[in-house]
Amino acid sequence: MTATIRPLGILKTYIGELKETSVDAGRSIRETIIQIGINPDLVAGVFVNDEQQTKDYILQDGDIVKLLAVIGGG
Amino acid sequence: MNGYGGSILRVNLTEGKITKEPTSAQVARDFIGGRGFGIYFLFKEVPRQADPLGPDNKLIISTGPLSGMLAPGGGKCDWTTKSPLTGGYADASLGGHFTAEMKYAGLDTIILEGASPKPVYLFIENDKIQLLDASTLWGKGAIDVEVELKHKYGEEFQIAAIGPGGENQVLYACINHDFGRQAGRGGIGAVMGSKRVKAIVLHGTKSVPVADTDGYRKAGMALYKACKDAEGLAEWSRYGTTVVTSWCDEVGALPTRNFSAGSFEQGPGIYGQTMRKEIVVTDKGCFGCPSPCGKYSNMKRYNTQVEGPEYETIGMMGSNLGIGDIQAVAEANRLADDLGIDSISAGGCIGWAMECYEKGIFTKADTDGLELKFGNIEAVFALIKKIAYREGKIGNLLALGTKRAAQQVGQGSEKFAIQVKGMEQSAYATHNATAMLLAYMTCDVGAHHNRSWAITYDLQVGRDKVVPEKVARIIWLQNFRPMFDVLGSCRLQWVELGIDRDLYCPLLESITGINRSWADLEAVGNRIWNLTRMYWARENEDFGREWDLPSPRFYTEPPKTGVTAGQITKYEDVQKLLDMYYQQRGWDPNGIPTQGTLETLNLSSMVA
Repeated sequence: MTATIRPLGILKTYIGELKETSVDAGRSIRETIIQIGINPDLVAGVFVNDEQQTKDYILQDGDIVKLLAVIGGG
Repeated sequence: MNGYGGSILRVNLTEGKITKEPTSAQVARDFIGGRGFGIYFLFKEVPRQADPLGPDNKLIISTGPLSGMLAPGGGKCDWTTKSPLTGGYADASLGGHFTAEMKYAGLDTIILEGASPKPVYLFIENDKIQLLDASTLWGKGAIDVEVELKHKYGEEFQIAAIGPGGENQVLYACINHDFGRQAGRGGIGAVMGSKRVKAIVLHGTKSVPVADTDGYRKAGMALYKACKDAEGLAEWSRYGTTVVTSWCDEVGALPTRNFSAGSFEQGPGIYGQTMRKEIVVTDKGCFGCPSPCGKYSNMKRYNTQVEGPEYETIGMMGSNLGIGDIQAVAEANRLADDLGIDSISAGGCIGWAMECYEKGIFTKADTDGLELKFGNIEAVFALIKKIAYREGKIGNLLALGTKRAAQQVGQGSEKFAIQVKGMEQSAYATHNATAMLLAYMTCDVGAHHNRSWAITYDLQVGRDKVVPEKVARIIWLQNFRPMFDVLGSCRLQWVELGIDRDLYCPLLESITGINRSWADLEAVGNRIWNLTRMYWARENEDFGREWDLPSPRFYTEPPKTGVTAGQITKYEDVQKLLDMYYQQRGWDPNGIPTQGTLETLNLSSMVA
């Protein structure tokens, strides 16, 4: 029961070049990313299997989660 | 001249006279194009104290050396004028496909001056340039006019038009183009309306000379490859700017009920993911765009369609008005676009009016019978129409913008007019985000986010921190980001995809033959920034520090709800931010560039 967390682009430099990580399913994305050392406030976009979700989404087995930061704004 | 169309088109509407002059190589070297050309002509040619809606004001439309070229998002031109909303400098960037056609018609700048005695539109097909009668178009919506003129002239013609808002000189009327792109802020559309120009129709087929053809191809393709390879391209393209809506709600930056809070309990109803599922039909990009942020939406409930809404409109016409229904927000967006008023300022004005009503400052006698409570969707639709047509007491009042409206109404309503320098703040709540607050305070058109944006930076550094590094970051962004509006390309490829900005330099050199690093470009940006500041000072005798203050809401009224509940920026920190900003900019304590700064920037003679 695992999911994959995949930080994208500039977010990687904000979180110490953390690369793709396998995590346990069954918890919220917020809890999960805090546990692996990512400040959730810096994550602007959460995409689970390419669909945007909030950080309250509960991870399911096999989910691929991409995380995106915003550097420049609109 | 390499990278340029070669001509400045001058249209004297009073006399109906059309002339061309060559683009000056010296001006191109010093100001490059876009908003650089805009402030150059505005400062030089528009007389001091000109009435923004009078014939002395000019509307200056400029492309840049990357416009219409092999540059990602090279579809940008800049519309500059003296703002009727603020009384100061204004420019607005327009995307779509207008710019490329303008460049291919050989035009670097179009200057509209004087005022026509009757409604006209400007027709340009290469060297065939005419002022034509627009009496049958006058009164029509901007989208309807675009459809009509497309049918008349053909798909290859690009059209920029005003709606009734521009005709009626609503002080924040906008220009519409490409069925959903706007030169939105500062009342550019009101200026075009004051000149009785309903639309510009153009098409060009000329080539643009470049200095190094092979280098141009290589540098252009390198930029496109960087975009294609960028992580996040698919996600940004799928959701566009709406990708940030849920995050703004989460971090307390989503304007809610006239910026009284930064989180919205009905937020999920307007999130990007909700919009994508409920109303988006397809994606839409501007000229040369590898990452289309535009979305065509279908609102089944209203049987209408719109390009949008973007995040800004969602914030200002959604949560800011207490509306958590994406179809309603999109319909409000459609009305604002077709009627030709800026959806950001309109959302700010309506939010202010709703707060006036809920506080008892307004009664139904003031609102033409409208129940102006937050969340009343039908009242919002009615009010957008009243504003555009300046209908009734409330429509006329809100057409003036929140600053003037609050000055008229009084009763403490000035404190919750969310504006700086007269321009309504765009859709980032700044109760406790000091860098972003400073960005709004010092933006050179009023409270707009386009020059510098620092929400993530605030969260990284500490949102309430007031430190020189934050100020330096804002200044760097203000010198750098608007350079995209000078060069004539979209900044979102850097903003969203984070592509290496140094890739633009070889492209610019291959086009113009002039080697410029980003340090060189930022120096030009700094020069332009100081010149726009001097324009404000020239046009407003009492201009100074007081003009840079934010809405008192952000230093007197902490939100009662949401993640920023109880949080606020201290007034002394607001002043400290300004002290540091002026010092780092080389301005005096009143916020005016010192003589030494002007001399260093070689601006002394121009502003004398």
